[in-house]
Amino acid sequence: MRFGMFVLLSAALAMAQDFAFQVASPVASQDFHFKAAAFVFRTTGCSSAEAPKISATAEGIISNQRQSVPLKVVEGSKPGVYAVFQSWPRDGQWLVDLTGTCGPATAGALIPVERNGFNRNSAKFFSHRPTNNEIEGSLTELAQKGNK
Amino acid sequence: MRMFSKHVSSLLAAYIDGQLRAREARRVTLHLEHCEHCRRERELVESGMSAVEHLSLVHAPDAIWTAIEAALPSRPLWQTQRNPAWRFVFATLVFILLAGAGFWVFEQRIHRPGMAWELRPIQGTPVVNAKPVHGAVRVGAGEWIETNSSASVTVKLGEIGVVDIGPNTRLTLVTARPSENRLALVRGQIHAKISAPPKLFFVDTASGTAVDLGCEYSLHTDEEGSGQLDVTQGWVAFQWKGQESLVPAGASCLTLPKAGPGVPYFDDASGTFKRGVYNFAAAKFEGPWLEVILGDARVRDTLTLWHLLPRVGVRDRERIYSRMAALAPVPAGISRAKVLRLDPETLKRWKDELAWVW
Repeated sequence: MRFGMFVLLSAALAMAQDFAFQVASPVASQDFHFKAAAFVFRTTGCSSAEAPKISATAEGIISNQRQSVPLKVVEGSKPGVYAVFQSWPRDGQWLVDLTGTCGPATAGALIPVERNGFNRNSAKFFSHRPTNNEIEGSLTELAQKGNK
Repeated sequence: MRMFSKHVSSLLAAYIDGQLRAREARRVTLHLEHCEHCRRERELVESGMSAVEHLSLVHAPDAIWTAIEAALPSRPLWQTQRNPAWRFVFATLVFILLAGAGFWVFEQRIHRPGMAWELRPIQGTPVVNAKPVHGAVRVGAGEWIETNSSASVTVKLGEIGVVDIGPNTRLTLVTARPSENRLALVRGQIHAKISAPPKLFFVDTASGTAVDLGCEYSLHTDEEGSGQLDVTQGWVAFQWKGQESLVPAGASCLTLPKAGPGVPYFDDASGTFKRGVYNFAAAKFEGPWLEVILGDARVRDTLTLWHLLPRVGVRDRERIYSRMAALAPVPAGISRAKVLRLDPETLKRWKDELAWVW
């Protein structure tokens, strides 16, 4: 009996997904309104009855000057699918800081957006709101990459 | 030839008016390309319709009724003389009906939104219906647009988008209705940027039809149907005889004469992978090139692998499924057996999930 419960509990824990962001090209949304978005994203692992709360900020460096631009996250025709549109300058190095909460759980992501779109391979995902150090570190990496 | 034995004279007015169904319009377009007789008839119908359009409605002078009365025989052939008022009422009704019908046709042709596209030369001198064009003109269904090696034009499709037509291109506008905008690209290159909801803009080519699913893309083709589709935003569905290739932004797809759309691939795929896709398609999806494709596929190349599933035999399908499952976890609810059976609903659900890694 105990062994059975242990197995069930272990299986349930193994199957439970952590609350996280999944980021993709606008085509993933299957929503033509989003075709010009910088990227789209959805959340996974949020079993709360309420929709997760999400905020986004563009963080960038233009000519060695740090800039922050609050962003509006747009929900699409499919529930739980959101888009971020570029409303920050084209110049410089930029990333989007995403933070979401689902009940007690938090998810964060730093998504670099370059001239030809978002960079999936350089995106970073966290189980907390991205810290200032993490944001600055990612921007420095982008700037170094941009200078190469 | 059968094409010549079935002239399309009876369909020309509806064709010019954009009232034909897409399939019928396409048949007329193809027929007109080869039939001098019908082309001449089309010109006659067009000039007739154009003349009607330019006529203005005028009211008949009152004196005309006196003249008509005077011209009538004093003794009618039948006993209408007994009730001349009825004759007048009948004539008035007929006049009102005819005037109303004429006005309705006029309104439909001239004022319905999306009935004509605005063409503007970018460089050189394009030709519309064999006549050189120097400034902005309006073009409607049934009209041909042609550019030489030094000409290009931009065409505004009402509110739904813009099509740039490159040099050495020949195309015709098949349908220009609010619910359907369709052109037939015989040869050459276009770049379309569409802002309307999906499935309002179609481009027919010899190797299939590009269906806009909310997108921006370039398409070039020759008269045989060899060409390429490059998508920069959204999705394009390329359809031919029940076969469909879904091409997302960042991907391309070759079109093949008498074989429809090829298999889409991402532009940033390796050269080896792209070569493999090209050669595998050329070998009618059989042979050793599949090994090259599977070996060089990245996660997002599951776009290509997903499209290969219905094109290969069962054994190769199993190999492709295994490779896809190794590259991207198969979502819950996607059964291997159903994929191998090509269950449409299962394939669609898998594609929608895979799009998150494309």
